[in-house]
Amino acid sequence: MVDIDFMEIQLKLYGSSKLLSDKETLLIELPENSNIEQLRNSLSKIISNKYSKSNLGNLPKSAAFFSKNNEVINDNYKLKE
Amino acid sequence: MSLHTALVKIEEQKISSEKAKRFIYSDKNGAESIFVGRVRNENDGKKVTGVTYDAHDQAVIKSFQSICNDAKNKFDKNAKIFLEHAKGYVPVGEISILIAVGAGHRDEAFKICRYILEEVKHQSPIWKKEHYTGGKEEWLPGHSLRPQEKIK
Repeated sequence: MVDIDFMEIQLKLYGSSKLLSDKETLLIELPENSNIEQLRNSLSKIISNKYSKSNLGNLPKSAAFFSKNNEVINDNYKLKE
Repeated sequence: MSLHTALVKIEEQKISSEKAKRFIYSDKNGAESIFVGRVRNENDGKKVTGVTYDAHDQAVIKSFQSICNDAKNKFDKNAKIFLEHAKGYVPVGEISILIAVGAGHRDEAFKICRYILEEVKHQSPIWKKEHYTGGKEEWLPGHSLRPQEKIK
C-alpha cells in the first residue's frame, strides 16, 4: 500500500474561470508534487462533475497559469502548497 | 519619459485622448497616430449594453511594457508611446483601449500603433464579459495565452 500526501492549491480566478466559484479563488486538492498538467486534469474532472451544462469544457485545455512572478508557466511546473 | 502604460479602473477614472496627445507631443516627431477602441452596441447579432474587462494587473502591465519596447526596437527607438486599457464595467460608447504614438515619420507611427494593438490582443491577460439587453451576460473566449502547440 502506498500513502499519498495531498496538498491544497489556491487558484486566483480570472475571466470565465470565475464561474467556478462565487469567490475570487478556488481551492483544489492535489497529490503532493503535482504539476500544472495534473492541475488541468483535476479541473477537467471538476467541470465535468459540477459544470457539465456550462460552456467551460475547453477551459482546462486553453487556460494559462501564472506563477507568483506573473509569468505564464508550463505544464511541467511543480506546484507547492 | 517616452512610455506610459496603464490599466484604468473606469469606475474611478476615464481614459483621456487629450492626456494621450499631451504625453506623445514632441517637436522632434513629425507624425502622431492615435487608435481609440470603444465598446460597440452589437456583437454576433446580440445587442450589447456594456463590457466588463477583467485583468491580471501585474501581468498586463508587464506585457504592455514588453510589447511597447518591442515596438520601439522594431520601428522607431525614439517613439513616444501612450497605452491605456480599461478595467471593470465599460458601457457602450466608452473607450476600452487607447494607443497614441508619436514618431519621426507617419509610416513608423502607423506601424507601431497597429503592432501594439494586435500584440495586446494576443499577449495581454485581459478577459471580456459582454452584457446584453435583457440582463444576460457571457464571457468571451478570446485568445488563449497558453502556447498554441500545447493545446490538443
